[in-house]
Amino acid sequence: MPDLDIHVTPMDIGKAAVTLIGVSKSFGETTVLENINFSVDEDEIVVLLGASGSGKTTILRIIAGLETLDSGMVILHGKDVTQLPARLRGTGVIFQNYALFPKMTVEENIGYGLRLRRRKKREIKETVGRLIELIHLEAHKKKHPTKLSGGQQQRVAIARALAYEPEVLLFDEPFGALDAQIRTRLRREIRGLLKQIKVPSIFITHDQEEALELGDRIAVLNAGRLDQIGTPFEVYNKPQTEHVATFLGAANILAGTLIDEHFAIADVRLEIDEDIVFADGRRVKMIFRPEDVFLRRPENLTQKYQKLTEGTVEEVSFVGAFERVSVRINLPGQDLIIVSRPKTETAAFPLRPGQAVPVGLVRFRVLADTQKAA
Amino acid sequence: MSANLSSVRHTHGFDIVRPLSIATMIAIMLPLILLPLASIFIFGTSNGLASFWAALNAPEAIFALKLSIVTSFWATIFNVLFGLFAAYVLSKYSFWGRNAVIVIISLPTAIPTAVAGFALLLLWGPYGTLGRLLGPENVPQIMFTAWAIILANIFVTFPLAFGVIKPVFDTMSHSLEEASATMGASRWQTFWHVTLPSLRGAIVGGALLTFARAVGEFGSTILVSGNLANRTQTAPLYIFAKFNEGQVEAANAIAIVLALFSFAIFSILFFARDWLEAD
Repeated sequence: MPDLDIHVTPMDIGKAAVTLIGVSKSFGETTVLENINFSVDEDEIVVLLGASGSGKTTILRIIAGLETLDSGMVILHGKDVTQLPARLRGTGVIFQNYALFPKMTVEENIGYGLRLRRRKKREIKETVGRLIELIHLEAHKKKHPTKLSGGQQQRVAIARALAYEPEVLLFDEPFGALDAQIRTRLRREIRGLLKQIKVPSIFITHDQEEALELGDRIAVLNAGRLDQIGTPFEVYNKPQTEHVATFLGAANILAGTLIDEHFAIADVRLEIDEDIVFADGRRVKMIFRPEDVFLRRPENLTQKYQKLTEGTVEEVSFVGAFERVSVRINLPGQDLIIVSRPKTETAAFPLRPGQAVPVGLVRFRVLADTQKAA
Repeated sequence: MSANLSSVRHTHGFDIVRPLSIATMIAIMLPLILLPLASIFIFGTSNGLASFWAALNAPEAIFALKLSIVTSFWATIFNVLFGLFAAYVLSKYSFWGRNAVIVIISLPTAIPTAVAGFALLLLWGPYGTLGRLLGPENVPQIMFTAWAIILANIFVTFPLAFGVIKPVFDTMSHSLEEASATMGASRWQTFWHVTLPSLRGAIVGGALLTFARAVGEFGSTILVSGNLANRTQTAPLYIFAKFNEGQVEAANAIAIVLALFSFAIFSILFFARDWLEAD
């Protein structure tokens, strides 16, 4: 494993809304989380992205105080809450099923946190009214949650958490129960809302598209470890591990060697643009996105183009906004790569199976090969 | 209530099977259920309403009805509270022997009521396992008092409220309690504001069921109460005693009251279900 530059300094703790330091957790023999460190700034949205079983839900539950940790610390706005029970932490959790109280009206649900804090009736009424206005549910405030749509219920769940000014909002797969169209609309709405009210938020999801769209930063989890945390641009374009590269979008991978500051595979040598952190002769992996492959030398390309090899078109499939092409190449370790081409390209240069094409790249990334050399 | 009626038609025009099957069903119910119930009312009022009222107003009859209601009331209170508590414990915690406890709680429904009464006598009677400890004179007496009737009622109706409340507990989403906790509620506040309101229907339903069953209890009460008029004679025991003495009219008057009472409770359970389960 390469050294990951995920550090939390005392400076971060001071200004961060949420900080996790060295959080580890096992259920019996199974390690669920291993030395998790990250922090969420004020007004920031961080998405924890991972497959099921990657430990993302456990992190959320540990922050909320619904799960204990084996070692490490949870700090909310500079205060160590590791030993505090859930009710004293003041987090706002938006559960996947929203967990609205079925016997309370929308108003009562939203006011519940304030009632528990024994606020004055008038203050509760004002706050609840303001939040109902914020989530545009004035017409539904006397209704019970079961009478509302999924999206409306979700907004009530958010308002209910906002009412008591939470330290942080924690969203547990909030769009999991909704269908694809509503999902896209809602996540834009919610991102807009969160940017408007400026509350630090953590989302968990297994959906990479959702993560890229929602997060100011994305933390990619892999089997209980934090692989990388960075802006959507960073994690997508500069993945630090193979897992990050393949989990966020499609990626082609070629195994090769680092020779003289070049990526070498068979007799191909590709110049590496970024800083090289590996020793000469080291086995490395090259990762490139389907959209960074060109099957002819484009005329007016501003990016640096390097030819990889020759290939044969195997299959062309239409997938809506772009075209996906499988290309057979003749390099060791990988014989098929995936290429995606935008409409302008497919119109100007149609392809058919069996056609011979040059395979060139405009961007790729070199990572350590974690597998033992054969 | 959902009326999930099949709409498949097998014939054109008039379907003879429909009235025939309904008539057959009622014909079977008639001698078994409907006529016995009807006869209580027919005989009870055959000498006019005045004699019915007189039979009902006999001090012994009034005492018997009151005793039945009071003992059933306390048994119901106990069993609903215990059922709620047991359902909470058994839904929330998993421990060794949990399933055995569930079976034991449900057991009283399967035990003949006479056996239940006999078992209570063996425990609390003058020579019983615990009764002996109460002293040679067995003072304070438990058997052959109203306390014995309450104990018997608790025993035979033990699983009813629990049986209604437990499934509601089991299906209740755990995240409701978690949400309440993250919002700042203590365990007790969560129970009071979130858990209990969701159980409202089950608690009322369980209580009605327990009460209806306890008011009608005969087999165990006749053994443990001593069946003393104006002291430990409940309404069903009164019916039995008067019938044995040949005072059919007196027995009949109380029988009508108990039957009407059961109708009332089951009507509430049946028609108020929507209200009880509403949000």
